[in-house]
Amino acid sequence: MTRTLVRAVLYLAIIGAVMAAILPLIWMASTSLKPEGQILSYPPRWLPAKPTTENYASVLRRFKFGRWTLNSIIVAVAGTGLVVVVDALAGYALARLRSRGSDLLFALIISMLLVPIQVTVIPLFLLFAEFHLLDSFTALILPVTSNITGVLLMRQFFMGFPPELEEAARIDGAAEARIWWSVVMPVSGPALAAVAALTFVSSWNSLLWPLIAINSDRVRTLPVGIAQYMGSHAGASGSAPAYGPALASATMATLPALLVFFLLQRYFVRGISTTGLKG
Amino acid sequence: MANTARPAVPHVSMQRAGDHAATTRHLFLLPYLIVFTLFRFGPIVVGWLISLTRWSLFGSPRWIGAANYRALWHDPLFWVSVKNTLAFTAMAAPTLILGGLALAVLLDQPLRGRHLARVLIFAPYAVMSAVVGVLWNWLYDTNFGIVNYYLGLVGLPSIAWLTNEHVALAAIALTTVWWTVGYNMVIYLAGLQEVPTELQEAGIIDGATFWQRFRYITLPLLAPTTYAVVILTMINTGQVFDQIYVMTAGGPGTATLTLVQYMYYQAFQTYNLGYGAAVAYATFVALLLITLGVQRLFRPEAAV
Repeated sequence: MTRTLVRAVLYLAIIGAVMAAILPLIWMASTSLKPEGQILSYPPRWLPAKPTTENYASVLRRFKFGRWTLNSIIVAVAGTGLVVVVDALAGYALARLRSRGSDLLFALIISMLLVPIQVTVIPLFLLFAEFHLLDSFTALILPVTSNITGVLLMRQFFMGFPPELEEAARIDGAAEARIWWSVVMPVSGPALAAVAALTFVSSWNSLLWPLIAINSDRVRTLPVGIAQYMGSHAGASGSAPAYGPALASATMATLPALLVFFLLQRYFVRGISTTGLKG
Repeated sequence: MANTARPAVPHVSMQRAGDHAATTRHLFLLPYLIVFTLFRFGPIVVGWLISLTRWSLFGSPRWIGAANYRALWHDPLFWVSVKNTLAFTAMAAPTLILGGLALAVLLDQPLRGRHLARVLIFAPYAVMSAVVGVLWNWLYDTNFGIVNYYLGLVGLPSIAWLTNEHVALAAIALTTVWWTVGYNMVIYLAGLQEVPTELQEAGIIDGATFWQRFRYITLPLLAPTTYAVVILTMINTGQVFDQIYVMTAGGPGTATLTLVQYMYYQAFQTYNLGYGAAVAYATFVALLLITLGVQRLFRPEAAV
């Protein structure tokens, strides 16, 4: 009797938590399909009476939304690609080079995790300004490569990697670079995917640095475009969009990310668990 | 003589091969060391030096020693942003930590649909912060938002979530919990997998209630996980910027002005780069002190 009651309460708690998590997103998608008149209707309707794509058309017409999306993809893909290669090399070296020097170096790298990234934005701004590289893809992509979590994850993975395989190849006289590429990399898929998933999302969502480094549509990324034209600032600049277009752009920016997330969620989970448990 | 020398030959060549391997592996480190130095470590050091200058974007820097930090000490807006950052952390961090733990324990029970529920609760984390802000601006709308509509249905008055200076920061904290509590849940779920089931079973056999098992078996064994969750959450809430930038931009008045908001304002809206750097460093030191405090509280046996 009490067992059934307890189970019922637990299920209710789960349903409540799931609803709280996803209802705002459902509301966002639903409202983006409502014509302007219905958006402010009271009481609110969960399903649009006459779904329309006019909000989407308006966003695409008034803003360089496609360009922002393409820019975000370029930055995230290039940044993730570089991070995966650089971190896989560094993580392998840090796991296999056991010397006092490399342990110290690793401690130094890890300790920088405690320094908020905001401390770096002013010097980075001056650095890129010095080389006339502000408002460029270079300014957006390069700083991503200094990410620390990826190195931490890769090192953790290689520490648990049995050295016998590499030693067999070494006795056969294979060069180190070759061992890394044809023996180590092919079995590192899950770790690389975890690093790639986390890097991609953090680059895709990144707002502060792009906000500082960018001022033209040519390289403007999605978060910056949405924040500047759809956020509370938009009102001040006199171009405040109605809620329909704002939520349409929010939906367009979210759907691809959610799709990637559902496909890759176990890699996210693996990456986050490893940083949380061993970081 | 020849006999004793011979075995040494392969040994020496192995040694040389080992040296060679070590050199190659140092080369493996090189690309990361370059980007780490240029874009992380270097800026962190240089940021400190910049904070010791008066540096406006259009002039050349002038060395003024600790003057920026002395000015900070007497700057009411700085203390407002310290107070707001602490208040935000005090509201968001405990909710995120306890909420993540509660959700993880709940979804660790053998219940149907728990795997799907985990993914769905974690899903808001995949939404970009700019979108989170735009979406919640609308949900919180005083006249037309659904939050006030449903409060009205249960007989509660409308709340000006983002325009009332006493409520705005709490409203943003609530949004932040919605957005990232799944992240802490994921870490705790991983931590729970490391708690040996034998101990739980022993607890059941000894007649311990669920609460007793949680309090005396699960929670102590989760201490290292809690340590990581607490540090990550404190650092993230202490650095809050995105949601505030999109939702209130620090307002109404200075009600949601946090330290990173203030740094952004000083460095990139009024172009006091030196003063902005001092704000950033002050934030860093505050977070470092909090982290060290947490570390003392937990004293985990195993460090990194």
